[in-house]
Amino acid sequence: MSLTTSFVGLTLQSPVIVASGPASHDVNQIRLAQEQKAGAVVLKTACSDKYIHMRSWPRPRYKLLDWDKQIAGRSKAFSLYAYEQGYSGTLEDYWQFIRVCKEHASIPIIGSIFADEAHEWQEMAVKVEQSSADAVELDISSPHRPGSLGFETTFVAAIKAVVVAVKIPVLVKLSPGPDVVQQSVSAQECGAKAVTLCNRLRGVDVDIENQRPILHGYFGGIGGPWAKYYTFRHVAEAAQAISIPISGTGGTMSGEDVIKYIMLGATTVQILSVIMINGWESIGRINGEIEQYMKRKGISSLDQIRGKALESITYPDEIIRWSGESKKGPRNTWNDDKIG
Amino acid sequence: MDNKQAKYPGLHPLPPAFVTDFPPVAVVVEERCIACDRCPPLCFFDAIVMEHRAAHKYERTAVVVTENCTGCGLCFEACPVDAFVWAPDKTLGARPSKAMGESERDLSA
Repeated sequence: MSLTTSFVGLTLQSPVIVASGPASHDVNQIRLAQEQKAGAVVLKTACSDKYIHMRSWPRPRYKLLDWDKQIAGRSKAFSLYAYEQGYSGTLEDYWQFIRVCKEHASIPIIGSIFADEAHEWQEMAVKVEQSSADAVELDISSPHRPGSLGFETTFVAAIKAVVVAVKIPVLVKLSPGPDVVQQSVSAQECGAKAVTLCNRLRGVDVDIENQRPILHGYFGGIGGPWAKYYTFRHVAEAAQAISIPISGTGGTMSGEDVIKYIMLGATTVQILSVIMINGWESIGRINGEIEQYMKRKGISSLDQIRGKALESITYPDEIIRWSGESKKGPRNTWNDDKIG
Repeated sequence: MDNKQAKYPGLHPLPPAFVTDFPPVAVVVEERCIACDRCPPLCFFDAIVMEHRAAHKYERTAVVVTENCTGCGLCFEACPVDAFVWAPDKTLGARPSKAMGESERDLSA
């Protein structure tokens, strides 16, 4: 029995990957992820020089919504409201960051970049490759990206430009919009080696005392345990439409969630909120929970359950149905005497 | 509905008033700290450590390492007794490192 997972040509010791964000913005965090036997780490996204303002972060930028501090870590339903920004150093710092991570880490390191012009995407991806990263993730879907950049208008060209320029695998991280399947197909056609589904939703919360949006005043990325069901569906739909592997991400709190993603066709699962909320030990705990399940079910490899639930997806015209409630019963008789 | 009366008010949902002049950093009010150890692991910037205090009720207290603090606000959410407050970091100058400019507005498109 082993959690070993093959993903875009890399061999991962676990399907659990640390997603791009505050848990992968410095070198020591890579060590922590490795100690917990994470499969890989996606580094924090570096933004091109045009988006230099995204290297400066508002204060504060996180708030836990629907969160009772008295039962910290046991809250089952909460939202992490975050105005998370890009890697805070220069691009030179970022290349150096990748090099240092690669020198010391034994797990694969995946760079993450954001730009707008295709040639910038390309130049940055080449730099990521030269810095010896194992793969590059194109973060075309940050909830904080400029809304003027569209998938068809900007990102298709970006993916194409990157794919021809680098030999390392290219992952494309998509937003949880209505076009996930179509965009996944496009990404595959453009030559991406995997898609990451999905980035965070964009949301907003209001402080009713002060009658304005909370924190910095603009929309933030929202995520939390509730967000997984939406992504489960996207993964399930995309898995039926594309042949490249999927890295599922969103709302994963436990090994069960990882297993669900895998049963819906994901190859790897990226986690982050759970690390922020429950600590680095979460990675080890999730790995342990997956192993327990495999042991209980007598599974030796996750390949045996990958896409298993997809086989039972039942389409509306196949769902077994019975006639509805009898229309002559007492619930359909209007009786004035019973009112009031 | 008075915000201040809430049982667990958490992080005040708005930045402190001085945010336009000085970057806010978190500071622990040591007398309030109950040494529950919840904030150091929640901090992703290694900015909170537990320190020994012989005179403290619990003999330990959380302390913010100001140089590491990015003012993200997550520690406020970790603290069951609201021991965190905002303080201006006057070492970093009196203007935000990036004020709202044209490129910033681009993000709101």
